[in-house]
Amino acid sequence: MSDLPEDDDAPRRPLRPLAPVLRARDRGENPDLIERANRIRRHDGIRERLKARAESRLLVLGLFFVVVFGAVGGRMAQFATSVPEEPRMSIFGSTITSARADITDRKGRVLATNLHTQALYAHPQDMIDIPYAVRELSRIFPDLEHDELLARLTRPGRKFVWLRKTLSPEEVQAVHDIGDPGLLFATRDMRLYPNGHLAAHVLGGASFGDEGVRAAEVIGVAGIEKAMDARLRDPDKVDEPLQLSIDMTIQAATRKVLQGGIDLYEAKGGSAIIMDIKSGEIVSMVSLPDFDPNRRPRPALTGDPSDSPLFNRAVLGVYELGSVFKIFATANALDLGLVTPDTQIDTQSPLVYGRFKIGDFHNYGPTKSVRGVIEVSSNVGTAHIAQMIGPTRQKEFLGRLGFFEPTPVELVEAPTGRPLLPKVWGDLAGMTISFGHGMSSSPLHLAVGYASLLNGGHKVTPTLLKRDGPVPEGPRVVSEQTSRQSREMLRLVVTDGTASMGDVPGYYVAGKTGTADKPKPGGGYYKNRNMVTFASIFPYYDPKYVVITTLDEAKVFAAGEERRTAGWTVVPVAAELIRRVAPLLDMRPAIEEPAQPGIREARNNH
Amino acid sequence: MSYLEYAVRTVPSGLRKVLYLNWPLVFLLSAICSVGFLMLYSVAGGSPRPWMEPQMERFAAGMVVMLFVAMVPIWFWRNISFVAYAVALLLLIAVEIMGEIGMGAQRWIDLGFFQLQPSELMKIALIMVLAAYYDWLDIDKVSRPLWMLPPILLILVPTALVLKQPDLGTAILLLAGGGFIMWFAGVHWGYFLAVIASGVSLVWAVMASRGTDWQLIRDYQFRRIDTFLDPTSDPLGAGYHITQATIALGSGGWTGRGFMQGTQSRLNFLPEKHTDFIFTTLAEEFGFVGASSLLGLYALVLVFCYVSAMANRDRFSSLLILGIASAFFLFFSVNMAMVMGMAPVVGVPLPLVSYGGSAMMVILAAFGLVQSAHVHRPR
Repeated sequence: MSDLPEDDDAPRRPLRPLAPVLRARDRGENPDLIERANRIRRHDGIRERLKARAESRLLVLGLFFVVVFGAVGGRMAQFATSVPEEPRMSIFGSTITSARADITDRKGRVLATNLHTQALYAHPQDMIDIPYAVRELSRIFPDLEHDELLARLTRPGRKFVWLRKTLSPEEVQAVHDIGDPGLLFATRDMRLYPNGHLAAHVLGGASFGDEGVRAAEVIGVAGIEKAMDARLRDPDKVDEPLQLSIDMTIQAATRKVLQGGIDLYEAKGGSAIIMDIKSGEIVSMVSLPDFDPNRRPRPALTGDPSDSPLFNRAVLGVYELGSVFKIFATANALDLGLVTPDTQIDTQSPLVYGRFKIGDFHNYGPTKSVRGVIEVSSNVGTAHIAQMIGPTRQKEFLGRLGFFEPTPVELVEAPTGRPLLPKVWGDLAGMTISFGHGMSSSPLHLAVGYASLLNGGHKVTPTLLKRDGPVPEGPRVVSEQTSRQSREMLRLVVTDGTASMGDVPGYYVAGKTGTADKPKPGGGYYKNRNMVTFASIFPYYDPKYVVITTLDEAKVFAAGEERRTAGWTVVPVAAELIRRVAPLLDMRPAIEEPAQPGIREARNNH
Repeated sequence: MSYLEYAVRTVPSGLRKVLYLNWPLVFLLSAICSVGFLMLYSVAGGSPRPWMEPQMERFAAGMVVMLFVAMVPIWFWRNISFVAYAVALLLLIAVEIMGEIGMGAQRWIDLGFFQLQPSELMKIALIMVLAAYYDWLDIDKVSRPLWMLPPILLILVPTALVLKQPDLGTAILLLAGGGFIMWFAGVHWGYFLAVIASGVSLVWAVMASRGTDWQLIRDYQFRRIDTFLDPTSDPLGAGYHITQATIALGSGGWTGRGFMQGTQSRLNFLPEKHTDFIFTTLAEEFGFVGASSLLGLYALVLVFCYVSAMANRDRFSSLLILGIASAFFLFFSVNMAMVMGMAPVVGVPLPLVSYGGSAMMVILAAFGLVQSAHVHRPR
């Protein structure tokens, strides 16, 4: 390259060459002129070289400038040719979308939908008068604490502060009236449950996930909202509501009746499930106390979680359910051909097994028929039947009915509703389990067990989603005949037995009561705290629905004493419930029981 | 090479100097400023206030300063260049200390009639001192490593101070402007190649180390770099300007929406519409034609400067003109690239068009130096 300094090896000419200087002096001229001339000549030489180099340098730079000009010009042309695009969310590379499908009941009535709303945030650096704005904000929103808010907004370096997640239109206007340019609104959708408490435990609730100023993700936090979160947020299906098996009208009636029952019997809580006995569709599911999913409370950190309004007793409330279990042992024995409804069973109380005693509420005398054991709810009789069956066959039978697994219902909490089983399932455990002690399960388990046993003998899978078209029958669990005989025995319980308050004229309810002592946290049982259950179906000759009703610590003063058993408390509640909902379920009351071949009126035998 | 070596006699003197000004350059600068007036009038919604009038006043004052600087012989400017540099450096340090003592980060000194930013002064002073240095330095020594040390220090010290303010835009201008003068002075191209190569490989090494065991910087620093390089990933911050600006540019099309018809800028979508992002208003209202015309005016300024520099036999003058022209080029190209989303937002105004007195005064004063070099060139 020419601009290497080493290249310059031209001989340097002296500025004051001796000979010409001397000659000039001789001539009387100023020798400085010679020096000046030489200096100019030398510098001209340097300048020539310099110029050549400068030109090449300028050329390189010129090229660079041309490239930059070309890039800028090209970009301008690209903009000029592009179609102006409106600012859209996608421009910002935002993946946040608030899309979420609605949830409706089985008839298309809205249970959960989205509401367009605004969130409030602040850019503290743009705020004009922070103290004033904070005063006004804490006036508009009493729960925004003045000092804390002031500290948040004046913390150095804060450029973005969320203030409120959702605002009502009035609140938006009030914030507008503050007139501070640093207070900004973020549009978003929020989840709205127009029916409030109605189906709180089924729906669960939703909250915000990723939040941006243009949209906020709405994500399910509990119940079906969380269990079906992926389906609800699936962009292809957002326009298609998720249809539940719940019927809003039935749900409302169920909730109202159950609440009334809780108030009347001073219970701590309760639950009710109405399920289609063949398809397993849950028409209503209520657990009380409940909550408003629009303002889902925080889980309490103290106290028993099962007393929290968030706790879904119907699915998670795993209790020893008591005598309602007896029908399973009887059906098992009938199905195995060990007994007939008329076989006499030893009911002498107490039954002594090793060092344990099993007693009855009353002594029902030396023997009773199988039918009678169920009718009066004899523990001793059931325990004898369980002994005939033996623990292995009993276990296998209950397993077939789904008592050993969590219910597969579409609630995110469902897998935690796992039944509690004895560690060793021996003869004694088998006997106590046969009358519903020593094994815990949820009301929904019971609903499934009753449905599968009594619908003709086909296993039922519970669901909260509306089923389209006919439901294939599940695997057979008992024979048609066992199913029918079981129904007849349960009908007897209502007509002549412990659930005599449970009959509803025209609907031929059949069912079984259960009164279980609640376990103490440290072991043992409370003497005066019961979990009462009524498991029922109607109409018994051709059952359509299974209704499970439970009350927690119900009591009533009746017939001269305080009553805590199911027959006095939960049964009237269930009867009222059936009375209310049966017409809503499009069922006409039958004036007379339709005569069907092979069906005997059990009472006629006596 | 010194002016003492030439006959000063040939240089015009007195008011005759006015005739020897580089008049095309004066007209070009006035034209560019007029574009600025027009745009400031438009972004104010068709009002000379609040921006156009003050800008015009400053332009008038700036032209007086330019003529004054042009009348003063260039050798005077060369002789005070080191002093000017020293003063600018001291002022930079002074505001740095003031900024740390005082609560606010004040980056200027109030002179009463206008606020002087030492960093603006430094832009000129650095060019002057580097040109003077290479004028003084024997041409054979230009590429000797030892003789490269002083100019490198002269560039890096103010750059570091400005970077600390933090004013990334000015720091880039100082660094690149200094580099341009060293390039013109004839520093061996191998040095430039080495610097560019090591810079590129450093950046490459940092980016390539991402996610590996020998990661050179932390994850959050990477995210900051991401936001810096791609402002659209931060829609609340820098990305907002860029998006709105590109929409404005796009909506202008080829011929624009017409004077005062811009929507994006006049509907207050752009917070800095009268300063750094004024180019978007121009592009929206006058389209590609208007924007490229302004680009053409800038290009002509460069052409006139380079022709003047090439014709000037004085090394200081020539380097000074080239340095100022190149800094000017950096100014507007960085601004345009920034507005069009081709470069990160660093806060460089569009020279002579953006609203802002300090910058305009400094630029016009710098062109005064160019004029002085032109008028007093050896003939």
